Amino acid sequence: MSATGTCEYQPKDYKSDLKPIWCPGCGDFSVVQGIYRALAAVGRPPHEIAFVSGIGCSSRIPGYTTAYGFNSVHGRSLPIAQGIKMANPDLLVLAAGGDGDGFSIGGGHIAHLIRRNMDITYIVMDNQIYGLTKGQLSPTSQKGRVTCTSRFGSLEEPVNPLLYVLAYGAGFVAQASPTDLVGMAAVIEEAIRYPGFAFVNIQSPCVTYGEEGQQIKGLKAISESLSALGHNPADRLAAMDLAQHYGSKMHLGVFYRNPEPPPTYGDLVKERQALLSKDALPKERILDLFIKK
Amino acid sequence: MAIQGIDFAKLSLKDALDLAILIEDEAQERYEDFASQMEQHRTPEAARFFRYMVENEAKHGRELSSRRLQLFGDAPRSVTPSMIFDIEAPDFDAARAFMTPRMAMEAALASEVKAHAFFVSALPALQDLEVRALFEELRDEEIEHQHLVKIELAKLPPDSRLSEEDFVDEPAPQ
Repeated sequence: MSATGTCEYQPKDYKSDLKPIWCPGCGDFSVVQGIYRALAAVGRPPHEIAFVSGIGCSSRIPGYTTAYGFNSVHGRSLPIAQGIKMANPDLLVLAAGGDGDGFSIGGGHIAHLIRRNMDITYIVMDNQIYGLTKGQLSPTSQKGRVTCTSRFGSLEEPVNPLLYVLAYGAGFVAQASPTDLVGMAAVIEEAIRYPGFAFVNIQSPCVTYGEEGQQIKGLKAISESLSALGHNPADRLAAMDLAQHYGSKMHLGVFYRNPEPPPTYGDLVKERQALLSKDALPKERILDLFIKK
Repeated sequence: MAIQGIDFAKLSLKDALDLAILIEDEAQERYEDFASQMEQHRTPEAARFFRYMVENEAKHGRELSSRRLQLFGDAPRSVTPSMIFDIEAPDFDAARAFMTPRMAMEAALASEVKAHAFFVSALPALQDLEVRALFEELRDEEIEHQHLVKIELAKLPPDSRLSEEDFVDEPAPQ
């Protein structure tokens, strides 16, 4: 409790008693720390936060927080998060998962949350592999990658998650990495504070099935801070230009932040409800709509 | 290793002590995490060493906390855990499944070296003489800690010729 009588939360207040079972050295250990720090900075109590995930190593993350958590169905974290947000708009809703969960199985959902501007923060832990199922190609695996499902090398171009969401018109797009925890926490905090759909791609290395160049050392070698480059996050085209380097360079920070965020879907629904409620029947007469007089 | 939002030139003794406590807390928490990772991954020797480091960091934290209490009572803290990252805590990726006690000790040694480098790099910016004296003391302690870990390392028998790669699943056709 602060001197002003308000509650101040510490990162440890968001840490649950459940011990992560990720492989030692996994990048997701630092992602969950970044989330604790960001949530403490935002200062919402854990019971006002809902954290939804899909399936995969990284999707275990809600369980490691004290927020309400739902480790849901493969690729379906976003529709569930959307349902939660619509049912209880006051909740702070986070969704998380891996690149396979988000851009393969659940790839179709992202576009719709973006076009609706759902007030949800979506964190993707992008390790370019299906780690939980022992190392198959994922949508962000590099072309030529050898895995158990691509013995002679992948024939496919990877999905570029940053360009993907920018092209659909996401209002907030950022990238972070365990190489910079302070920066990661700051980016997640900014994403949470953004009034609308916010996407954070976190390059989180898989220590068991990831390639050497994708480990912390390799990521450090290709990382570049967007603010140090003098990038203006209000410039969407510049953001798209920088996002094209996904896979060869790792730009860290905010790619795009819509300087004039449009209303969220929740705001529009509230407005529509207010407009229609004056002509609406009282609850006790609702059946009259369906019963012929 | 990073610090955010702290101006060393204006650092007071109270803030410096709080910062030092946070650094110990962060390291203690990281070693706790490493110890439980090792326990989950059936690597008890490394887990034991990490638990020993937890105790060490906790002890240093307690010493600093009692000094802080003596000097400043319960005056509010203005530095927060979010301002620091990996000053004395080993890197997240320093833990590996089936790591040997030697690898665990080498990770701890690297952290002590890192912490020493932090205090050395901060010294030129410090203006307050008491803060400078505290940082010099902490810097020297890191040297002492490095020495202690080196002694423990020297006691170890040579590692087996197995490497962590021997325990990692290779891609297999499915």
